[in-house]
Amino acid sequence: MIRIENFSFGYKRNKLLYRNLELTLNPGRIYGLLGKNGAGKSTLLKSLTGLLFPSSGTVTVNGFCPSHRKPSFLRTIYFIPEEVQVPALTINTYVRIFAPFYPLFNREMLDTYLEKLDVSTDDKLTRLSFGQQKKFIIAFALACNTGVLIMDEPTNGLDIPSKKRFRKLISAVMNEKRILFISTHQTRDLENLIDQVIIVDNGELLLNEPVETISQKLSLKIVGEDDIDIPVIYEEEVLQGRAVITQNTDGIESKISLEQLFNAAAENPAIVKTIFAT
Amino acid sequence: MNDIFSLQRFGWLMRKILTERTTQILGTIGLSISITFILYTLARLMQDVSVAQNASFVLGLTLGGSLVASIVFGYFGNNATGASFLTLPASILEKWLSGILIVGGIYFFIFLLCFRLIDLAFVLQYHNSLNPSLAFYKEQYDAVHIFSFTGFVASTTYLLLFNFSGLIMLGALFFNKAAFVKTAFIICGIMVGAFLFNFLVVKLLIKNTQIAIPFNIVWIQVGDERTALALSPQNAEKIIFIFRFVLPAIFWSLSLLRLKEKEF
Repeated sequence: MIRIENFSFGYKRNKLLYRNLELTLNPGRIYGLLGKNGAGKSTLLKSLTGLLFPSSGTVTVNGFCPSHRKPSFLRTIYFIPEEVQVPALTINTYVRIFAPFYPLFNREMLDTYLEKLDVSTDDKLTRLSFGQQKKFIIAFALACNTGVLIMDEPTNGLDIPSKKRFRKLISAVMNEKRILFISTHQTRDLENLIDQVIIVDNGELLLNEPVETISQKLSLKIVGEDDIDIPVIYEEEVLQGRAVITQNTDGIESKISLEQLFNAAAENPAIVKTIFAT
Repeated sequence: MNDIFSLQRFGWLMRKILTERTTQILGTIGLSISITFILYTLARLMQDVSVAQNASFVLGLTLGGSLVASIVFGYFGNNATGASFLTLPASILEKWLSGILIVGGIYFFIFLLCFRLIDLAFVLQYHNSLNPSLAFYKEQYDAVHIFSFTGFVASTTYLLLFNFSGLIMLGALFFNKAAFVKTAFIICGIMVGAFLFNFLVVKLLIKNTQIAIPFNIVWIQVGDERTALALSPQNAEKIIFIFRFVLPAIFWSLSLLRLKEKEF
């Protein structure tokens, strides 16, 4: 379990990005972290991996304090940054030098994941394209079988078939002991994958709810110009008319895209917070 | 599990670093040895063997050591490598020791070995070039010998190496981009500042000071003569002890502390 309590962080002492953030992440779920550029997504992920230290408050990951960067903690977590870089080594050499650090690493799993992600080479990893390198790192991270896997923009640099393969693979490897925390601003890439949506903006937690709850509490409708009598949280023009997000008052669940949800939360944070507070 | 030091984990870490960064580490060591060889050759063409030995040893070991020190923690110019290094499941002590072992162990001994071979070649060439039938053959032969690794020049160079490499490692952990250049500028600044400060203080105390080399010697003008004021042997020993052991220990320990506190 990941617990963030009273968490404050700022790159400058007098300008805090996060102030008193409270967040709990439970095993067995895939969390999607959404936010604008500069909203603090990477900062939050780095704080969970011990790359950044909180200005105040505590972060605990399965009972460990990440900022101590103890090996017993680091071998239970894998962080994939947005940009990846592989050394000029073959897959076998890479595995030989990195795998011993992760006691649950499984070579057979790695081979399976590489096959599923369509990565195959006997040459040095540096000869692969950026997307292929990223897929290799994702496959390796999954094969390490760490309890916590944190990915910052994992689909950046992946082509369309690879994004589909990525989603399929992530769904397949998920189990009740794992926490997957994925940050993205490419919401469509993670549609149907995420169990719980976390939206941050200006260091504030705008939303932290399971997808089911979101469907129960918000509703997406396509309406005409004046065809609605309850407050609209978000609206956008679509071919069929106006797509509006409102509070779900009739109990009929509708599918809301992550992008629309994010826009709704970003444009009307107070209303969204009120709806989910009840 | 031991979160401070595990020999097995340290072995994995060293293997990982040496395999992953073979080109960088061996390339830098090779570069510094090449520079040493070129310096030795150039100095030998212009001066005698002892000048060439001293100049190439001092510059080669110090410059090469600083270059190697700049790459052992040079992971932070890039998000991926920096994050990968800090989140690799090895302890902070093991990561720090890996840098110390590369600079103070691997580089140091490879340099000494290569320098010995270069030196041996030049000394042999000199000895073979002498004509045994000449009157001063023995004196000329004995005038040149293998560079001593325990002599004054070598000891002073070790002092420079361990101070500079400590500072450069510290700089590599403070600055993410162009760490070597930034740290080198700071070192130059400190040296110039220390020199000027020392000179001004000595000038206030002794009016006819010509030059004051920090913590070592002061040259003064007395009439038409120039004379040196040196430290007493006791004080000189203390200063040497500080530069040889205390300062490198401080710099190297600070790099451990900085690695522990490093945020990226």
